[in-house]
Amino acid sequence: MSHDTATETASNSIAFENVTKVYDDGTEAVTDVSFSVSSGETATLVGPSGCGKTTTMKMVNALVEPTTGTVSVDETPVSEYDPIELRRKVGYVIQDIGLFKHMTIEENVGIVPDIVGWSDDRIENRVTELLELVRLDDDVRTKYPQELSGGQQQRVGVARALAAEPEVMLMDEPFGALDPITREQLQNEFLDIQAGLDVTIVFVTHDIDEALKMGDKVAVLQDGELIQYDPPAELLRNPNNAFVESFLGEDRQLAQLQTVAVREVMGPANEAPTNDGGTPLSPDDTLRLAVQNWLRSETDVVPVVEDGTVVGSLSEVHIRSIFDGRSRAIEENHV
Amino acid sequence: MVSLVETVEWMGANSDVLVRQSIQHLSIALTALVIGIVLWVPTGVLVRNNERVSQVLLGASGIVLTIPSLALLPLLIPFFGIGEAPAIVALVLYSALPIMRNTVVGIAETDGAMKEAGRGLGLTDRQLLVRVQLPMAYPVIMAGIRQATVLLIAITTVAAYFGAGGLGRSIFAGIRLANADQIIGATIVLSALAIVLDYGLATTVRLLPNSEVIDT
Ligand SMILES: Nc1ncnc2c1ncn2[C@@H]1O[C@H](COP(=O)(O)OP(=O)(O)O)[C@@H](O)[C@H]1O
Ligand SMILES: [Mg+2]
Repeated sequence: MSHDTATETASNSIAFENVTKVYDDGTEAVTDVSFSVSSGETATLVGPSGCGKTTTMKMVNALVEPTTGTVSVDETPVSEYDPIELRRKVGYVIQDIGLFKHMTIEENVGIVPDIVGWSDDRIENRVTELLELVRLDDDVRTKYPQELSGGQQQRVGVARALAAEPEVMLMDEPFGALDPITREQLQNEFLDIQAGLDVTIVFVTHDIDEALKMGDKVAVLQDGELIQYDPPAELLRNPNNAFVESFLGEDRQLAQLQTVAVREVMGPANEAPTNDGGTPLSPDDTLRLAVQNWLRSETDVVPVVEDGTVVGSLSEVHIRSIFDGRSRAIEENHV
Repeated sequence: MVSLVETVEWMGANSDVLVRQSIQHLSIALTALVIGIVLWVPTGVLVRNNERVSQVLLGASGIVLTIPSLALLPLLIPFFGIGEAPAIVALVLYSALPIMRNTVVGIAETDGAMKEAGRGLGLTDRQLLVRVQLPMAYPVIMAGIRQATVLLIAITTVAAYFGAGGLGRSIFAGIRLANADQIIGATIVLSALAIVLDYGLATTVRLLPNSEVIDT
């Protein structure tokens, strides 16, 4: 690569600048989209089927070429990379998983290290490491994909994408084909895994709850246009327009509770009840849990306790405070 | 009336001839088969991404297959003389359709998700072909080769009429002499050859992990 990335600090790992994609048949799948994902962050792309999520994602690893505009990875335009080299340093997970049926799990996971020329020993160690990371028993390494459950197969899919230590991961509805319980389990595990990795992720989903849960930032797409790109809490507080609002769903307020920690809204410690005010909260609990406790408690104010000392108090006023910004926005929209 | 006992007696009495003709028969058919595989599998691989060319080639080999061997063989004699050479040329042409068609179709039908994943992970077209598409297409290609094998064993019989060796000699002689034992005896050996070869080739597919034998 001819590029000299001197400005490591600014590091937008992925950047879209005025990107439009018109397919050969005239379909305009993506229209003038601009956004960027900082190094180590997860951006979720969410929107109804056909809104251009997959197309947007595939422009990052050169599976789709933008018609106009520029997509950059590590501050270098995708068009300046050798596509094969680029794809090898960008992990890729798809909904259909696409494990190679004639290869063992070990061979599947090790395929990218193998084609880039790692030694057998190094590949073997890496596979062991990855199977552990995605919580698969080491026994599976000699099995074939069809012998595994859907959830296990997708774990292998994730391990395969992580094999050559990519800086960027693209995940296209990775958990979409799984049953709700397995999906939730994999979401939680993946959040754990990702916390221990320094990897920038673009995560495509049509499920808004998944988008809010997995993303540091959420990009809402509609008919190829980027309608809003914000952190989950901000998106819930201030949906840009009626589409985003309806897409967030009727239980938006409940979802919003999930995104705020007690610490952010609690009142002073001296307002906490001195008698036994029900189960105390921790400042790191979500407001959703807080509401649950608050509904169950016998007093109107619940103490917030950290390391054995009361550090704050939580009442209805504090919980409601998170909706204030939003109600203001609605008033502004309706005048 | 034909009696099986007499047929078996004839086979016993003429076992040396039958063995010699079987070897000739196999050598002609298998030589053509090997040439056919070497020629048509790579051709199928080469044209896999070019719909127009592959349609033309498959169309042409389909037409070849409709020409009766009794008509095709004498057509080749002016170019290749008499004996084994024209027979092998004809057989190679006949093997084109099953082998090439199954190669093209087998590669084209590789699971889309596997192709997508392979490309997304950074496999080159060639790596995708060698590591993913050909292994996945292997049972389909083998099914084509098995079809071709049975076809070539059968057609080789006719080649005896134009000077090539093989079990066709006994069959045509049996017809000339109105010797039913001879016709049936040689035919039994012929069928046995076809069945054994077909079974053997199917086994090579079964030995591979996760490959199912595709019945034709
Ligand atoms: N290869 C293609 N050729 C033509 N149109 C396409 C192609 N891929 C996707 N499209 C169209 O582009 C639009 C966006 O598709 P896609 O990016 O797959 O959306 P999503 O992933 O959000 O469901 C759709 O209208 C789809 O039909
Ligand atoms: Mg999609």
